[in-house]
Amino acid sequence: MAVLKKDTMISLAENSVNEALKSGASEAEAYVYEGQATNIGIELGQISKTNRIIDRGVGIRVVANRAVGFAYTNIIDDQKAVESVILRALNAAKASKPDADWKGLPQKKPYTSLEKTFDDKIVELGSEELVNVASTMLDSAGQVDKRVFPIEGGIGSAYISNAIANSNGISGFDKGTVIECSLATLAKEGSAVTPVCFEFNASRNYDIDPVWVGKEAAKLAVSALKTKSVETKSTKLIMTQFALQDLFAYTLVNAVRADSVQRNQSPFKGKIGEKVASENLTIYDDGLFPGGLRTMAFDGEGVPHQKTAVIEKGVLRNFLYDNYSAKKEAKESTGNAARAGYLSTPSIDTSNFHVMPGNKTSEQMLSEVDDGLIIYYLQGAHSSNPVSGEFSVVATPAWKIRKGEIVHCSRGVMLAGNIFEVLKNVSLVGSNERQMGQLISPWIQVENVRVIGK
Amino acid sequence: MKDFLTKINSTATQKYGAQYAEARAQKLYKTMLNLKEERVEAAKQGIENGVALRVLVNGAWGFASVGSFDGEILESAVSDACRMAKMASSRLKTPIKLAEAKVVNDRVEAKPKKNPADILMEDKVKTALAVNKASLGFDKRVKSCTTDYFDLTGTSYFVNSDGTSIEQDKMYVWARITASALNEGVFTFSREEIGSTAGYEIFDKQAPEALGEKVAKLAIEQLSAKSLKGGTFPVVLGPNVVGVFVHEAFGHLAEADLALSGGILASNMGKKIGSDLVTFYDDGTIEGSFGAFKYDDEGVQTQKTMLIKDGIVSGLMHNRETAQKFNAEPTGNARAEDFRVEPIIRMRCTYMAPRDHSFEELIEKVKQGYFFKRFRGGQANLDGTFQVGIQEGYEIINGEIGGPVRDASISGNTLETLHKIDAVGKDFMLDPGRCGKGQTAFISDGGPHIRVKEVVVGGSA
Repeated sequence: MAVLKKDTMISLAENSVNEALKSGASEAEAYVYEGQATNIGIELGQISKTNRIIDRGVGIRVVANRAVGFAYTNIIDDQKAVESVILRALNAAKASKPDADWKGLPQKKPYTSLEKTFDDKIVELGSEELVNVASTMLDSAGQVDKRVFPIEGGIGSAYISNAIANSNGISGFDKGTVIECSLATLAKEGSAVTPVCFEFNASRNYDIDPVWVGKEAAKLAVSALKTKSVETKSTKLIMTQFALQDLFAYTLVNAVRADSVQRNQSPFKGKIGEKVASENLTIYDDGLFPGGLRTMAFDGEGVPHQKTAVIEKGVLRNFLYDNYSAKKEAKESTGNAARAGYLSTPSIDTSNFHVMPGNKTSEQMLSEVDDGLIIYYLQGAHSSNPVSGEFSVVATPAWKIRKGEIVHCSRGVMLAGNIFEVLKNVSLVGSNERQMGQLISPWIQVENVRVIGK
Repeated sequence: MKDFLTKINSTATQKYGAQYAEARAQKLYKTMLNLKEERVEAAKQGIENGVALRVLVNGAWGFASVGSFDGEILESAVSDACRMAKMASSRLKTPIKLAEAKVVNDRVEAKPKKNPADILMEDKVKTALAVNKASLGFDKRVKSCTTDYFDLTGTSYFVNSDGTSIEQDKMYVWARITASALNEGVFTFSREEIGSTAGYEIFDKQAPEALGEKVAKLAIEQLSAKSLKGGTFPVVLGPNVVGVFVHEAFGHLAEADLALSGGILASNMGKKIGSDLVTFYDDGTIEGSFGAFKYDDEGVQTQKTMLIKDGIVSGLMHNRETAQKFNAEPTGNARAEDFRVEPIIRMRCTYMAPRDHSFEELIEKVKQGYFFKRFRGGQANLDGTFQVGIQEGYEIINGEIGGPVRDASISGNTLETLHKIDAVGKDFMLDPGRCGKGQTAFISDGGPHIRVKEVVVGGSA
C-alpha cells in the first residue's frame, strides 16, 4: 500500500483540529501517524517468517472547560469515523475533571531541518533483499563456531511518518526510516547451555552490517561457555551499552523527568547546579542528533526537538519538560513529550539520551583493568526502585577481567546498589559510542559496585 | 464477517497456493484513564479495527496486518503475505507443518454483571479518584499516587481454511496503582495491580478506597525498612512471589517455542527436575481470571495444562506449529495482542498447586532468613537463570517475622531452586499481571506460600 502523502497527513490533522473546535472544544490537537514495516524473521536457525504491518491512525486531544479528553481511531479514510472520534474525545473531556494547572497547548515555534533520518534506499528495499541480508547474518554466525545456535532474530525495515496540528497554529510533518537486524544466539556444549547472547545493528540509513552482527552474536555465546563463579565483594565494572540502557531507563530517566521532580519522586529535586555525578560524566538529551534513532523535528506536542544539557561534568543542569510540566514552573518545554504514535497522549521521556564519549578505546579500557567484571546483559532492571534508584539485578552473564584480559564468564552474578551512587563512582568513560534505543553512549567504568557471587 | 474472511482465505489457498490461511478480524474499544494525585491527566477512548492475515506457503509463514475492512486492501495484503512467504521458503531447511486442530464453529459471548462499556466514563473517573484520595489521605508522607485504568471490550473473529469459525467477545478490566512516599531523604515506591475478565464488578469485590490504602500502607512501611545484606538464605515466598517465580523462572521455559530455542526443558521431558512437592499448571479455564479465554488466536480451545507433576516435567505449552514438532496436541496457548501482530505461545493463568503446610509451619523452622511477600518485576533466561525483584519483604529470625527489608531480589537457577522447595502451603491465591514477550499478554499467576531451603538474595547493604 502506498504511503500517505505529507499534504494528506497534514490536512487530516488540521481538519480534525478545526472540526473539534467547531464541535465545542476550546483547544484541540490532532496527531496523525503512519508506520509501514516489513520484517523477515529467523526462528530456530532458519528464515521461516515474514510480515508486513501497516498501521495508521489519528489521535485527537481536546480541551473543554480546562479538562483534557483524548480519543483515537485507526480508521482514517472515513470522515464519519474521524467525526465520531472527535465526539468521543469531547465526551472524555466532559467526564474528566477541570485542571487548574492547565495553561494551554504549546505555541508554534520553527523547526530545524534534520540530518540522516530518512533514506530512500530503506523505503525501496524489497523483501528479497531483506531475505538475503538475514541469510548473510545467519551464515556469518554459523561460520564462527559449531557450538553456536542462532535462535531468533531477523531484519526489519520501516517507514514512519508523523503529522501534528493544534489550535495555536502548530502544523508539522516528519518522515523517517529505520532498519534493524538482530540475532540472538546461544552456545551448547554437552549439557551446558549458555545464556542468550544478542547483537544488533539499528540505523536510520541503510548502512547496517549483518556480517558483524552475526559474528559478534556468535562470539559472545562462545565466550560464555567457559564459566567459573566469582566472589562476593565490591568491585570494578565496565558497563556496556546494553546494561546502561536497561538500568538508566528504569532509574535515572525517571529522576530527570520534570513531572517526577514536581511530584516528589526524584532524589534530584532541588539539586540543579549541584554535583550529582562524577565529573567524568556529561549527558545531553539531544532530539536533533544526526541519525539518532529518536531524532525527529518535533516532539509529541509539536514542540521543536532540541539539545538539553542534563548533566555536565557531574553537575545537574536541567530536567526534561513537556509543555504541561514546563508551564507549571513558567518555563518552556524542552521538547520531551513522547508519544506512542496515535495511540497515546504525550508523556515525558528522553529523546536521544546522549552520554558524551571520552578518549579510551574499548581495548584500552579492558587492558587497564586489573580485577573486575564486564557487564553486557542485565536481568531484572525493571524491578529497580524507580524512585530511590536502588537496583538488585542479575548479569546474564558477567565476564571476569583479570590483568587486562577477559578470562571467563560467570553466571548468576548479582549486582546491587543505587544508581545515584553508581553515577558518582564513574571513573572512566570510553570512546566507543553506539546507539541503543534512546541511549547513545560509550562503555562506562564504575568503581565499587556490590557483586554477589556464589 | 465470516463469509468475508472466508473469501480472503480462499484467495490465499486457491490463487496463491497457500497450504493454510487464517484471518482474524477485530473491532475493539478501549477506555483509559491516567490519574496523578487528584488530577485527571487524561481520559481516553480508542477504537481499533483491523484484520490480521496469516498464510503458510511452502512451509514458511507470511503475515500481513491492516487497519481496514476494505476487500480490495485485504486482497492486496494477502497477496503480499503469500509472496513474501514464498520468498522466505526458498531458504528453508525444515518446512513448518501444523498439528491437527479440531474444527470449531462457535460464538462466545461475554456475560458480565457490569459491562465496562455500559459504565459512564464519569463513574470510572470517580472510582479512580477514590483510589488516589484514599492513598494520599492515608499518611502525609505519601507524596504521590498514580492510577492507570484500562478496559477493553469488543469482538474478535477468527476464520481459517480448515473450516473453523469463531466469534468471541473480549473483555478486560485492569488498573495499576503506584504510590511513592518520602521521609527524611528516604524514598519508597509501591504498586498494586488488579485485573479481571469478569467485568466491572471487580470494583465491588475490591473497593477503590481499600486499594488506595493498601498501596499507601506498603510505601509507608518501606520507609522504615532496612537494606539487606546479600547472600544465600532460606526464604518463605508469598503467593504473589510464587506466582511470578512460576511464571518467569519456569513458565517461559515451558513455552514450547522457547524450549525448542535451546531452553533447558526440551531435554528434560518426563524427567524429575524438582522436589516431589512441585506441581505446576497453566490454565486458561479459570473463569474471570485475567488469563482466561475460551479459544486462542489459532482457534484452539483453551485447557488446563499440567506442566510439572510431583517434580516431573509432564507437558509444555504449544501452538499448532510446536505441537507438530513435539508430536503433541495444541494446548490453546497461541495468543496475539491484537490484529497488528502474529499469535505466539503465551501463558494464561500459571500457578503452583497447594499442599499441606500452614504459614506458621513454613516459617517456624527458619532460623535466619527472609519472608518475601510481594514482587516488583521478574525475568528469566533460557539457561534457567531467574531474577525476581521484591517490593515487600521481612526478616525471619528464629521462626518469627521480623522487621521489613527494602529493594531486595532473589535469583538462582530454576532447576536447582525447584529441588530446594522443601515445604508448600495449603493456601492459594492468584494475581493478575501482564507479560511482555515482544507483545503484551494479560495473564494471572499464583499459588500457595512456599519455603525454599536456600536461594541467592541480592541486597546492597
